[in-house]
Amino acid sequence: MPPKWARKILAWSCPKDSLEEVQGDLLELYNYWLETEGEREANKKYILNAIRLQRPFSKVQGKPSIKFNMSAMLKHFSVVAYRNVMRSRSFSLINIVGLSLGLASSLMILLWIMHERSVDNFHTNNTQLFRVYTNFTNQGQIMDAGYNTPAMLPAELKKEIPEIEYATGFVKYFRLSLQDDIYETFRVGDKIEKLKGSRAEKDFFKMFDYKLLAGSAENALTGPQSLCVSRKMAELLFGSADNALGKTVLFDGRKDLIVTAVFENVPNISTDQFDYLMNWDAWVKENPFKQSWGHFGTLSYIQLRPDADWKKVENKMKGFLKSRLGGMTADRKIELGLQRFGDQYLHSKFENGIPTSGRIEYIWIFSGVAALILFIACINFMNLATARAVDRSREIGIRKVVGSSRKNLIWQFISEATLFTFLAVILAVGLVHLFLPWFNELTGKDISLPFGNPYFFLILPLLVIMMGLLTGSYPAFYLSSLKPTKILKGSFVFGHGAVFFRKGLVVVQNVMSVLLLIATLVISRQTNFIQSKNLGYDKENLVYIPLEGDLISKYSIFREEASIMPGIKAVDRCSQFPHAMSFRLPAVEWPGQDPNMMINFALASVGYDFVKVMNLKLIEGRDFSREVKADSTNFLVNEEAVRQMRLKQPVGQQITVFDKKGSIVGVLKDYHTNSLRESIDPIVLDVKEHLNFGTILIRTQPGQTKVAMESLEKICKKINPSYPFLYTFLDEQYGKLYKSEEVISRLANVFAILAIVISSLGLFGLAIFSAEQRKKEIGIRKVLGATLGNILSKFSFDFLRLVFLGSAIAIPISWYVMKGWLQNFAYRIDLAWWIFGLACLITVIISLMTIAMQAVKVGLKNPVEALRTE
Amino acid sequence: MILLTIAVIGIDAYGVNISQELEHQTGRSIDFSTVHTTLKRLEDKGFLHSKMGGATKERGGRRKRFVSITSIGYKALRESQGVRNKLWSQIPIQFQIKSI
Repeated sequence: MPPKWARKILAWSCPKDSLEEVQGDLLELYNYWLETEGEREANKKYILNAIRLQRPFSKVQGKPSIKFNMSAMLKHFSVVAYRNVMRSRSFSLINIVGLSLGLASSLMILLWIMHERSVDNFHTNNTQLFRVYTNFTNQGQIMDAGYNTPAMLPAELKKEIPEIEYATGFVKYFRLSLQDDIYETFRVGDKIEKLKGSRAEKDFFKMFDYKLLAGSAENALTGPQSLCVSRKMAELLFGSADNALGKTVLFDGRKDLIVTAVFENVPNISTDQFDYLMNWDAWVKENPFKQSWGHFGTLSYIQLRPDADWKKVENKMKGFLKSRLGGMTADRKIELGLQRFGDQYLHSKFENGIPTSGRIEYIWIFSGVAALILFIACINFMNLATARAVDRSREIGIRKVVGSSRKNLIWQFISEATLFTFLAVILAVGLVHLFLPWFNELTGKDISLPFGNPYFFLILPLLVIMMGLLTGSYPAFYLSSLKPTKILKGSFVFGHGAVFFRKGLVVVQNVMSVLLLIATLVISRQTNFIQSKNLGYDKENLVYIPLEGDLISKYSIFREEASIMPGIKAVDRCSQFPHAMSFRLPAVEWPGQDPNMMINFALASVGYDFVKVMNLKLIEGRDFSREVKADSTNFLVNEEAVRQMRLKQPVGQQITVFDKKGSIVGVLKDYHTNSLRESIDPIVLDVKEHLNFGTILIRTQPGQTKVAMESLEKICKKINPSYPFLYTFLDEQYGKLYKSEEVISRLANVFAILAIVISSLGLFGLAIFSAEQRKKEIGIRKVLGATLGNILSKFSFDFLRLVFLGSAIAIPISWYVMKGWLQNFAYRIDLAWWIFGLACLITVIISLMTIAMQAVKVGLKNPVEALRTE
Repeated sequence: MILLTIAVIGIDAYGVNISQELEHQTGRSIDFSTVHTTLKRLEDKGFLHSKMGGATKERGGRRKRFVSITSIGYKALRESQGVRNKLWSQIPIQFQIKSI
């Protein structure tokens, strides 16, 4: 047989009337060539002939009149379409605006999704870059998983596994307690700047695409004094990025560093944000505990050789820690895993010890929303177009009688729809352009329309054509099938099937708007709940000041002086941020402990006044006291700890934390140690007023924040002159924990409103259509004595049925989806029935208002007008 | 030329045997596609008349389109032959001999 593709070409291109004989002839010849000249030659000839038979080579002269006709028809169609738009301006406006609203919002979502997907995916070596994660198994069960690894891991991995080309560590959280917000201090002359940055190994710039403006990737991070700075930092410290190289910077008031490289500011599509990088080994040397394999506190990034199979490397790495960490068994172990570097942003939530979900869920949800909105908009368009068919039925009838073929009519409607979508797409792009700044502010991104991207201009016309076909298809095929005699006689009524279809579309739309409405209500209520929930401590009027510079050694002076300043109630310190305690370890031992049980305690060191500053409640025992000497080794725990430790008599119980031995003096009432996504951890607090890490907590007098801040600034300037005065408020920081929920909630609001607007348009279309259809029926009712009220209720009821049906379908779906979403939170609102009720009520009211306009119009009409044709 | 070949084959002329016959007679290989297009053109001019034949197995069940010369076609053939003959007869003698 000749090659398939050649046969396809032939079948596809040959005019239908001569296809059969040509295929036959060629096949016969092929067989002849096959016998005489062999397969190769035969194939070649067949292909050659198939190609030579293509239109341009073997064009059979067509009738020129058809060509002429086509262009004339096209012209005619566009004229008719234009006149139609102009004749019913408001109607066309609604239609185009509705469609472009839908398009604009889905375009916006699409841009957002594209942006989200691009995060961390911009590196040239993207496919070879990986991030190491660890998971901890105890008693055969995965207990915990995360990205933290020992500081020596990257270098050791590179040494041991040949497939790894480059490896580097990276620091995200500097000190145990402090999250992303740690600023370090740099000084050049008398310029002092606080900036955020990290430490990395010498491979770093070879692996990632952070552009170097000065210095080389090879030598940027080799020396113990090397410092790579961003353009921003160079400009801050030296005035320009050009002359920073080789300059000396005083770091933290104690160490001189030399600028070895300047890199372009890190783009915001990178999860790692840093303004400087310093030498890794020097940092590890300064922090001896980082040299322990048991200290999991930094991130590891690796780059594989292009030919390496990452699954195999992952398998090799799995048990890497076994020989380095003692005490691992088959049942109790810490294993390594690999995740693509580009996946870390969207997949950062661990399930079963593997990073699977995370932000990607929002991507899916919003993809769904975008598709839904676009779908609703298209449905509307079809609905409105068919509703208008009644007006245009005569046109169609005449066209048919005069001799228009069905094909022509179909083309007419599709080209009209394409014209509409063309206008709508242009409008939508305009809308997106207009609203993008606002959208960026909402989502905290900097998305722009990809005008520079050739695909963009390829996709838009494609979108126009596709949507034109989609939206034009129903009116085109339906309307063109109508019988001209019937239409022209004036008895034009839609069949049952058509009516059913249109009603179905309205129901589908309604389901969508109710769904989105319920989602909005639930999300905003949950966000409210989070913000207003009593956390067990007083989060207002609490100030954080970082403990740094001279404040460390002079902390007690600071505390004494600050406590008596105006506006300040109490001062204390804590090794972790109390609103987000992320440091958890199973490091507590006590007599009578079940050896198989692993409890992760949130451990924090505080001062004597912590309970007072935080306004915590004690339910048993007493607070720490300076008068009691033994309190320097005693502990406070919370109710959760008592519960998990199964203590009957908590007060007086001896416990050991790391190597500190003491007894529990009091039990605190549970308070939230983290965001409400997580449940309350068991807490163990001890007093360590001399350590140099943590944050200072200051309780100010309510209403006197300004005075208090002035006093604090004065003291800080005095005690710690080489550091700028830096502070944050606890409630602010707490709010930041829910940034993503905040964004989602706002987005959901916007899209719910859009969905409702768009689906009201749909209902509006159906109302017009139905009013037209039932003109005579209503006329007769009026003649027989029906009042306006009667007609209104009769008319509205039909629609309300659809709305109710839509709601009934939407409720279980939304219940299921929202329940899933709420699972993200350990503390969440109930899915109360009234949320669903309210959503339905809102939809019903809006629908009623939409329908009522048409109903009143119909009800007020003089029945004579409707009935005189009979 | 093709018209002539069709006349030579007589009845049952169709794409394949026309191109084969041509190849045979002239010794030159002739593209099927050329034959096909020419047939189409000749039919449009009214020189040929075509009808579909029965399906055969060797062609994958596809029918043949048999062509036969119409009277106009025959007339055209004749005319061209007449022109050629007339031209031939006017060539000087010595060339005629030489070429023989």
